Amino acid sequence: MYGRSQRRSTGLFLTLCAAMLLLAMVTEQTWAAGARGAVKSMLAPLEAVMTQVAGNVDRITSVFGDVSTLRAENQRLTAADQALRRQVVELNAAAKENASLRQALDFERSYGHHMVAAQIVGRGPDGFSRTLEVDRGTADGVLPGMIVTTGAGLVGRVQEAGPHGAIVETLADPQSRVNVFLSKSGLQGTVTGGPASLQLDLEHSLGVSATSGEWALTSGVGGGYPRGLVVGEIASITHRDSSTSDQAVVAWVNDPAAVSLVLVITDFVPS
Amino acid sequence: MKRLGVGALLLATVLVQVTWAPRIAVAGAFPNLALVAVIAITWTAGVRFGMAWACVAGLMLDLTADGPLGPHALALLAGAYLTGFWARNLDRESVLHPVVAAAASTALYSAVLVLSDDVLGLPVPPLGIALQLVVAAAIYNAALMPLVLATVRKLHSPVTRRAEPV
Repeated sequence: MYGRSQRRSTGLFLTLCAAMLLLAMVTEQTWAAGARGAVKSMLAPLEAVMTQVAGNVDRITSVFGDVSTLRAENQRLTAADQALRRQVVELNAAAKENASLRQALDFERSYGHHMVAAQIVGRGPDGFSRTLEVDRGTADGVLPGMIVTTGAGLVGRVQEAGPHGAIVETLADPQSRVNVFLSKSGLQGTVTGGPASLQLDLEHSLGVSATSGEWALTSGVGGGYPRGLVVGEIASITHRDSSTSDQAVVAWVNDPAAVSLVLVITDFVPS
Repeated sequence: MKRLGVGALLLATVLVQVTWAPRIAVAGAFPNLALVAVIAITWTAGVRFGMAWACVAGLMLDLTADGPLGPHALALLAGAYLTGFWARNLDRESVLHPVVAAAASTALYSAVLVLSDDVLGLPVPPLGIALQLVVAAAIYNAALMPLVLATVRKLHSPVTRRAEPV
Protein backbone atom coordinates (compact mmCIF):
# COMPACT_ATOMS: atom_id res chain seq x y z
CA MET A 1 0.00 0.00 0.00
CA TYR A 2 2.86 2.31 0.87
CA GLY A 3 4.55 1.64 -2.44
CA ARG A 4 1.34 2.21 -4.40
CA SER A 5 0.71 5.48 -2.58
CA GLN A 6 4.24 6.62 -3.28
CA ARG A 7 3.90 5.73 -6.96
CA ARG A 8 0.63 7.67 -7.16
CA SER A 9 2.27 10.70 -5.53
CA THR A 10 5.21 10.47 -7.92
CA GLY A 11 2.85 10.14 -10.86
CA LEU A 12 0.90 13.21 -9.76
CA PHE A 13 4.16 15.09 -9.23
CA LEU A 14 5.41 14.27 -12.72
CA THR A 15 2.05 15.15 -14.28
CA LEU A 16 1.89 18.50 -12.53
CA CYS A 17 5.53 19.22 -13.44
CA ALA A 18 4.80 18.52 -17.09
CA ALA A 19 1.71 20.73 -16.95
CA MET A 20 3.65 23.63 -15.40
CA LEU A 21 6.49 23.28 -17.90
CA LEU A 22 3.99 23.29 -20.76
CA LEU A 23 2.31 26.36 -19.31
CA ALA A 24 5.69 28.09 -19.00
CA MET A 25 6.62 27.30 -22.59
CA VAL A 26 3.25 28.51 -23.91
CA THR A 27 3.16 31.74 -21.89
CA GLU A 28 6.77 32.49 -22.84
CA GLN A 29 5.83 32.88 -26.51
CA THR A 30 5.71 36.41 -27.85
CA TRP A 31 2.16 35.98 -29.13
CA ALA A 32 1.07 35.22 -25.55
CA ALA A 33 2.70 38.34 -24.07
CA GLY A 34 -0.50 40.40 -24.18
CA ALA A 35 -2.61 37.77 -22.46
CA ARG A 36 0.18 37.16 -19.92
CA GLY A 37 0.36 40.85 -19.09
CA ALA A 38 -3.41 41.05 -18.73
CA VAL A 39 -3.48 38.06 -16.39
CA LYS A 40 -0.64 39.49 -14.34
CA SER A 41 -2.54 42.74 -13.89
CA MET A 42 -5.23 40.80 -12.00
CA LEU A 43 -3.33 40.63 -8.73
CA ALA A 44 -2.17 44.27 -8.89
CA PRO A 45 -5.26 45.74 -7.14
CA LEU A 46 -4.91 43.23 -4.30
CA GLU A 47 -1.21 44.04 -4.03
CA ALA A 48 -2.01 47.74 -3.92
CA VAL A 49 -4.41 47.14 -1.03
CA MET A 50 -1.82 44.98 0.76
CA THR A 51 0.86 47.61 0.23
CA GLN A 52 -1.50 50.18 1.71
CA VAL A 53 -2.15 47.88 4.67
CA ALA A 54 1.59 47.31 5.16
CA GLY A 55 2.15 51.06 5.04
CA ASN A 56 -0.60 51.62 7.61
CA VAL A 57 0.84 48.93 9.87
CA ASP A 58 4.22 50.62 9.61
CA ARG A 59 2.66 53.93 10.53
CA ILE A 60 0.72 52.49 13.48
CA THR A 61 3.76 50.78 14.93
CA SER A 62 5.87 53.87 14.47
CA VAL A 63 3.46 55.98 16.55
CA PHE A 64 5.08 54.68 19.72
CA GLY A 65 7.69 57.04 21.07
CA ASP A 66 7.03 59.72 18.42
CA VAL A 67 8.95 57.61 15.97
CA SER A 68 6.43 58.53 13.29
CA THR A 69 7.19 62.23 13.60
CA LEU A 70 10.90 61.62 13.57
CA ARG A 71 10.61 59.31 10.60
CA ALA A 72 8.57 61.82 8.59
CA GLU A 73 11.07 64.54 9.40
CA ASN A 74 13.91 62.21 8.53
CA GLN A 75 12.28 61.31 5.22
CA ARG A 76 11.75 64.98 4.40
CA LEU A 77 15.35 65.82 5.23
CA THR A 78 16.62 62.76 3.36
CA ALA A 79 14.62 63.73 0.30
CA ALA A 80 15.89 67.30 0.50
CA ASP A 81 19.43 66.04 1.00
CA GLN A 82 19.15 63.68 -1.97
CA ALA A 83 17.81 66.44 -4.18
CA LEU A 84 20.62 68.78 -3.16
CA ARG A 85 23.27 66.10 -3.59
CA ARG A 86 21.92 65.25 -6.99
CA GLN A 87 22.10 68.88 -8.00
CA VAL A 88 25.70 69.10 -6.76
CA VAL A 89 26.63 65.94 -8.61
CA GLU A 90 24.99 67.07 -11.79
CA LEU A 91 26.59 70.51 -11.58
CA ASN A 92 30.00 68.98 -10.90
CA ALA A 93 29.63 66.60 -13.78
CA ALA A 94 28.45 69.36 -16.08
CA ALA A 95 31.31 71.64 -15.06
CA LYS A 96 33.85 69.05 -16.15
CA GLU A 97 32.57 68.89 -19.66
CA ASN A 98 33.25 71.39 -22.42
CA ALA A 99 30.53 73.10 -24.41
CA SER A 100 30.15 70.40 -27.00
CA LEU A 101 29.89 67.74 -24.36
CA ARG A 102 27.35 69.82 -22.51
CA GLN A 103 25.34 69.86 -25.66
CA ALA A 104 25.70 66.11 -25.89
CA LEU A 105 24.65 65.78 -22.29
CA ASP A 106 21.51 67.62 -23.34
CA PHE A 107 20.00 68.62 -20.07
CA GLU A 108 16.79 69.47 -21.75
CA ARG A 109 16.47 65.91 -22.96
CA SER A 110 17.55 64.50 -19.64
CA TYR A 111 15.11 66.44 -17.56
CA GLY A 112 12.49 67.52 -20.06
CA HIS A 113 11.32 63.98 -20.65
CA HIS A 114 7.69 63.05 -20.55
CA MET A 115 7.09 60.97 -17.47
CA VAL A 116 4.29 58.96 -15.92
CA ALA A 117 4.12 58.72 -12.15
CA ALA A 118 3.46 55.21 -10.86
CA GLN A 119 2.93 53.73 -7.45
CA ILE A 120 4.79 50.59 -6.41
CA VAL A 121 2.27 47.91 -5.50
CA GLY A 122 4.51 44.89 -5.17
CA ARG A 123 7.98 43.46 -5.30
CA GLY A 124 9.55 40.34 -6.80
CA PRO A 125 8.65 37.11 -5.02
CA ASP A 126 12.22 35.88 -4.58
CA GLY A 127 15.76 37.14 -4.22
CA PHE A 128 16.89 36.02 -7.65
CA SER A 129 15.08 38.70 -9.58
CA ARG A 130 14.85 42.10 -7.92
CA THR A 131 11.76 43.51 -9.53
CA LEU A 132 9.07 46.01 -8.64
CA GLU A 133 5.46 45.96 -9.74
CA VAL A 134 3.85 49.33 -10.52
CA ASP A 135 0.21 50.28 -11.03
CA ARG A 136 0.65 51.77 -14.52
CA GLY A 137 0.63 49.80 -17.73
CA THR A 138 0.12 49.97 -21.46
CA ALA A 139 -3.16 51.86 -20.96
CA ASP A 140 -1.08 54.66 -19.42
CA GLY A 141 1.60 54.59 -22.12
CA VAL A 142 4.04 52.42 -20.18
CA LEU A 143 5.82 49.91 -22.42
CA PRO A 144 8.60 47.33 -21.95
CA GLY A 145 12.06 48.88 -22.21
CA MET A 146 11.12 52.25 -20.74
CA ILE A 147 13.40 53.76 -18.07
CA VAL A 148 12.19 54.14 -14.49
CA THR A 149 13.57 56.75 -12.07
CA THR A 150 12.79 58.62 -8.89
CA GLY A 151 13.70 62.16 -7.91
CA ALA A 152 16.92 60.76 -6.50
CA GLY A 153 18.06 58.80 -9.53
CA LEU A 154 17.78 55.70 -11.69
CA VAL A 155 15.61 52.77 -10.55
CA GLY A 156 15.63 50.39 -13.53
CA ARG A 157 13.77 49.42 -16.66
CA VAL A 158 10.26 48.16 -17.46
CA GLN A 159 10.49 44.45 -18.18
CA GLU A 160 6.87 43.55 -18.84
CA ALA A 161 3.71 45.59 -19.12
CA GLY A 162 0.06 44.69 -18.86
CA PRO A 163 -2.92 47.02 -19.35
CA HIS A 164 -2.89 48.34 -15.78
CA GLY A 165 0.41 47.17 -14.34
CA ALA A 166 4.06 46.67 -15.20
CA ILE A 167 7.06 44.83 -13.82
CA VAL A 168 10.29 46.80 -13.47
CA GLU A 169 13.73 45.17 -13.34
CA THR A 170 15.67 47.23 -10.80
CA LEU A 171 19.40 47.92 -10.75
CA ALA A 172 19.67 45.46 -7.84
CA ASP A 173 18.66 42.59 -10.10
CA PRO A 174 21.67 40.33 -10.75
CA GLN A 175 20.99 40.56 -14.50
CA SER A 176 20.99 44.36 -14.53
CA ARG A 177 23.86 46.14 -16.35
CA VAL A 178 24.30 49.92 -16.56
CA ASN A 179 27.23 51.77 -18.14
CA VAL A 180 28.33 54.68 -15.96
CA PHE A 181 30.99 57.38 -15.62
CA LEU A 182 32.31 58.86 -12.40
CA SER A 183 31.64 62.51 -11.60
CA LYS A 184 35.23 63.57 -10.67
CA SER A 185 37.67 61.18 -12.27
CA GLY A 186 35.57 60.65 -15.39
CA LEU A 187 36.40 56.93 -15.36
CA GLN A 188 33.93 54.65 -17.04
CA GLY A 189 32.62 51.30 -15.94
CA THR A 190 29.65 48.98 -15.68
CA VAL A 191 27.38 48.68 -12.66
CA THR A 192 25.91 45.24 -12.05
CA GLY A 193 23.21 44.26 -9.60
CA GLY A 194 23.61 42.22 -6.47
CA PRO A 195 21.61 41.16 -3.43
CA ALA A 196 23.24 43.52 -0.96
CA SER A 197 24.85 46.28 -3.04
CA LEU A 198 25.63 47.37 -6.58
CA GLN A 199 29.03 46.34 -7.96
CA LEU A 200 31.03 48.56 -10.30
CA ASP A 201 33.63 47.15 -12.67
CA LEU A 202 35.85 50.15 -13.37
CA GLU A 203 38.28 50.53 -16.27
CA HIS A 204 41.90 51.41 -15.50
CA SER A 205 43.17 54.70 -16.84
CA LEU A 206 46.78 55.88 -16.67
CA GLY A 207 47.29 58.50 -13.95
CA VAL A 208 43.66 58.60 -12.93
CA SER A 209 42.13 56.74 -10.06
CA ALA A 210 38.65 56.68 -8.61
CA THR A 211 38.01 57.71 -5.03
CA SER A 212 35.31 56.94 -2.53
CA GLY A 213 32.54 59.50 -2.48
CA GLU A 214 32.50 60.02 -6.24
CA TRP A 215 29.13 59.76 -7.93
CA ALA A 216 28.31 57.31 -10.67
CA LEU A 217 26.05 58.61 -13.45
CA THR A 218 24.73 56.83 -16.52
CA SER A 219 27.12 57.35 -19.43
CA GLY A 220 24.64 56.63 -22.20
CA VAL A 221 27.14 54.20 -23.76
CA GLY A 222 25.26 51.45 -25.51
CA GLY A 223 22.12 53.53 -25.75
CA GLY A 224 20.29 51.60 -23.05
CA TYR A 225 19.88 54.56 -20.71
CA PRO A 226 19.94 58.34 -21.20
CA ARG A 227 23.16 60.03 -20.13
CA GLY A 228 23.39 61.80 -16.79
CA LEU A 229 21.04 59.88 -14.51
CA VAL A 230 22.44 59.44 -11.00
CA VAL A 231 23.02 55.80 -10.05
CA GLY A 232 24.85 56.03 -6.72
CA GLU A 233 27.88 56.99 -4.70
CA ILE A 234 31.13 55.03 -4.58
CA ALA A 235 31.26 53.47 -1.11
CA SER A 236 34.54 51.57 -1.43
CA ILE A 237 37.09 50.63 -4.08
CA THR A 238 39.35 47.63 -4.44
CA HIS A 239 42.38 48.41 -6.61
CA ARG A 240 43.88 45.44 -8.40
CA ASP A 241 47.25 46.03 -10.07
CA SER A 242 47.20 42.62 -11.66
CA SER A 243 43.89 43.26 -13.35
CA THR A 244 42.74 45.60 -16.08
CA SER A 245 39.88 46.82 -13.93
CA ASP A 246 39.08 47.87 -10.36
CA GLN A 247 36.09 46.76 -8.34
CA ALA A 248 33.95 49.23 -6.43
CA VAL A 249 30.84 49.03 -4.31
CA VAL A 250 28.18 51.59 -5.19
CA ALA A 251 25.67 52.85 -2.64
CA TRP A 252 22.51 53.10 -4.71
CA VAL A 253 20.62 56.39 -4.31
CA ASN A 254 17.34 54.48 -4.18
CA ASP A 255 16.46 52.08 -1.41
CA PRO A 256 14.20 49.57 -3.22
CA ALA A 257 12.54 48.57 0.03
CA ALA A 258 11.60 52.17 0.81
CA VAL A 259 10.68 53.56 -2.62
CA SER A 260 6.93 53.91 -3.04
CA LEU A 261 6.57 56.18 -6.08
CA VAL A 262 8.51 56.11 -9.35
CA LEU A 263 8.56 57.99 -12.64
CA VAL A 264 8.49 56.15 -15.96
CA ILE A 265 10.21 58.04 -18.80
CA THR A 266 7.88 57.47 -21.72
CA ASP A 267 9.72 59.31 -24.50
CA PHE A 268 13.18 57.74 -24.31
CA VAL A 269 13.64 54.83 -26.67
CA PRO A 270 16.59 52.57 -25.81
CA SER A 271 18.65 51.77 -28.89
CA MET B 1 -8.35 20.75 6.04
CA LYS B 2 -10.69 23.61 5.21
CA ARG B 3 -9.93 24.44 1.60
CA LEU B 4 -11.22 27.97 1.85
CA GLY B 5 -8.98 28.56 4.84
CA VAL B 6 -5.96 27.17 3.05
CA GLY B 7 -6.70 29.21 -0.05
CA ALA B 8 -7.06 32.37 2.01
CA LEU B 9 -3.85 31.57 3.89
CA LEU B 10 -1.89 31.09 0.68
CA LEU B 11 -3.27 34.24 -0.94
CA ALA B 12 -2.36 36.18 2.19
CA THR B 13 1.15 34.72 2.33
CA VAL B 14 1.76 35.51 -1.35
CA LEU B 15 0.54 39.09 -0.92
CA VAL B 16 2.64 39.57 2.22
CA GLN B 17 5.63 38.04 0.45
CA VAL B 18 5.50 40.48 -2.47
CA THR B 19 4.64 43.59 -0.46
CA TRP B 20 5.98 43.43 3.06
CA ALA B 21 8.61 40.66 3.22
CA PRO B 22 11.26 42.48 1.11
CA ARG B 23 11.39 45.13 3.85
CA ILE B 24 12.86 42.59 6.25
CA ALA B 25 15.61 41.28 3.97
CA VAL B 26 18.74 39.89 5.61
CA ALA B 27 21.91 39.39 3.56
CA GLY B 28 19.86 40.06 0.45
CA ALA B 29 17.36 37.31 1.21
CA PHE B 30 13.83 37.64 2.48
CA PRO B 31 11.42 34.96 3.70
CA ASN B 32 9.60 32.89 1.11
CA LEU B 33 6.35 32.65 3.00
CA ALA B 34 4.54 30.81 0.21
CA LEU B 35 7.17 28.08 0.21
CA VAL B 36 7.07 27.77 4.00
CA ALA B 37 3.25 27.59 3.93
CA VAL B 38 3.29 24.89 1.23
CA ILE B 39 5.82 22.88 3.22
CA ALA B 40 3.68 23.20 6.35
CA ILE B 41 0.56 22.13 4.42
CA THR B 42 2.39 19.17 2.93
CA TRP B 43 3.78 18.18 6.32
CA THR B 44 0.34 18.36 7.92
CA ALA B 45 -2.06 17.14 5.24
CA GLY B 46 0.04 14.97 2.96
CA VAL B 47 2.02 15.22 -0.23
CA ARG B 48 -0.83 15.16 -2.77
CA PHE B 49 -2.71 17.91 -0.99
CA GLY B 50 0.54 19.86 -0.64
CA MET B 51 1.39 19.54 -4.33
CA ALA B 52 -2.04 20.77 -5.39
CA TRP B 53 -1.69 23.86 -3.25
CA ALA B 54 1.92 24.28 -4.40
CA CYS B 55 0.60 24.77 -7.95
CA VAL B 56 -1.95 27.35 -6.78
CA ALA B 57 0.58 29.31 -4.70
CA GLY B 58 3.24 29.02 -7.41
CA LEU B 59 0.94 30.42 -10.07
CA MET B 60 0.07 33.31 -7.76
CA LEU B 61 3.79 34.01 -7.36
CA ASP B 62 4.26 33.80 -11.12
CA LEU B 63 1.61 36.48 -11.52
CA THR B 64 3.81 38.87 -9.54
CA ALA B 65 7.14 37.98 -11.21
CA ASP B 66 8.52 38.79 -14.62
CA GLY B 67 8.69 36.03 -17.21
CA PRO B 68 6.29 33.22 -18.10
CA LEU B 69 3.76 31.55 -15.80
CA GLY B 70 4.92 28.25 -14.33
CA PRO B 71 8.51 28.38 -13.00
CA HIS B 72 7.53 29.26 -9.41
CA ALA B 73 4.79 26.63 -9.45
CA LEU B 74 7.30 24.06 -10.69
CA ALA B 75 9.79 25.04 -7.99
CA LEU B 76 7.14 24.87 -5.25
CA LEU B 77 6.03 21.46 -6.55
CA ALA B 78 9.57 20.16 -6.13
CA GLY B 79 9.69 21.56 -2.59
CA ALA B 80 6.34 19.95 -1.72
CA TYR B 81 7.36 16.58 -3.17
CA LEU B 82 10.63 16.57 -1.20
CA THR B 83 8.78 17.52 1.97
CA GLY B 84 6.21 14.79 1.38
CA PHE B 85 8.92 12.21 0.90
CA TRP B 86 10.60 13.44 4.09
CA ALA B 87 7.38 13.47 6.15
CA ARG B 88 6.44 9.98 5.00
CA ASN B 89 9.63 8.49 6.29
CA LEU B 90 10.19 10.46 9.50
CA ASP B 91 8.44 11.44 12.71
CA ARG B 92 5.78 14.03 11.83
CA GLU B 93 5.38 15.34 15.36
CA SER B 94 9.01 16.36 15.70
CA VAL B 95 9.70 20.09 15.29
CA LEU B 96 13.24 19.57 14.08
CA HIS B 97 12.33 17.58 10.97
CA PRO B 98 10.06 20.21 9.38
CA VAL B 99 12.65 22.86 10.13
CA VAL B 100 15.35 20.90 8.32
CA ALA B 101 12.86 20.01 5.58
CA ALA B 102 12.18 23.73 5.10
CA ALA B 103 15.88 24.43 4.64
CA ALA B 104 16.32 21.51 2.22
CA SER B 105 13.18 22.39 0.28
CA THR B 106 14.35 26.00 -0.03
CA ALA B 107 17.58 24.79 -1.61
CA LEU B 108 15.68 22.50 -3.99
CA TYR B 109 13.12 25.22 -4.78
CA SER B 110 15.91 27.65 -5.66
CA ALA B 111 17.75 25.09 -7.77
CA VAL B 112 14.61 24.21 -9.73
CA LEU B 113 13.73 27.89 -10.19
CA VAL B 114 17.18 28.76 -11.56
CA LEU B 115 17.28 25.60 -13.69
CA SER B 116 13.82 26.20 -15.17
CA ASP B 117 14.76 29.80 -15.98
CA ASP B 118 17.89 28.50 -17.68
CA VAL B 119 15.95 25.89 -19.66
CA LEU B 120 13.40 28.49 -20.73
CA GLY B 121 16.20 30.77 -21.92
CA LEU B 122 15.59 33.38 -19.22
CA PRO B 123 18.51 35.15 -17.51
CA VAL B 124 19.87 33.42 -14.41
CA PRO B 125 21.88 34.94 -11.54
CA PRO B 126 25.62 34.26 -11.23
CA LEU B 127 26.43 31.12 -9.21
CA GLY B 128 28.11 32.95 -6.32
CA ILE B 129 25.20 35.31 -5.78
CA ALA B 130 22.70 32.47 -6.14
CA LEU B 131 24.48 30.38 -3.49
CA GLN B 132 24.62 33.30 -1.09
CA LEU B 133 20.90 33.94 -1.52
CA VAL B 134 19.99 30.26 -1.18
CA VAL B 135 21.88 29.84 2.09
CA ALA B 136 20.40 33.01 3.61
CA ALA B 137 16.87 32.13 2.43
CA ALA B 138 17.18 28.54 3.73
CA ILE B 139 18.08 29.77 7.21
CA TYR B 140 15.35 32.40 7.13
CA ASN B 141 12.65 29.95 6.02
CA ALA B 142 13.76 27.30 8.50
CA ALA B 143 13.47 29.81 11.33
CA LEU B 144 9.90 30.68 10.31
CA MET B 145 8.80 27.08 9.88
CA PRO B 146 7.62 26.32 13.47
CA LEU B 147 5.36 29.37 13.52
CA VAL B 148 3.77 28.65 10.13
CA LEU B 149 3.46 24.95 10.94
CA ALA B 150 1.57 25.76 14.14
CA THR B 151 -0.83 28.00 12.17
CA VAL B 152 -1.46 25.37 9.52
CA ARG B 153 -1.99 22.66 12.15
CA LYS B 154 -4.71 24.82 13.71
CA LEU B 155 -6.43 25.09 10.32
CA HIS B 156 -6.16 21.35 9.86
CA SER B 157 -9.33 20.47 11.75
CA PRO B 158 -9.76 16.90 13.13
CA VAL B 159 -13.13 16.56 11.36
CA THR B 160 -11.63 16.71 7.90
CA ARG B 161 -8.22 15.29 8.70
CA ARG B 162 -7.23 12.41 6.49
CA ALA B 163 -4.00 10.65 7.21
CA GLU B 164 -1.75 9.56 4.39
CA PRO B 165 -1.93 5.81 3.75
CA VAL B 166 0.85 4.00 5.55
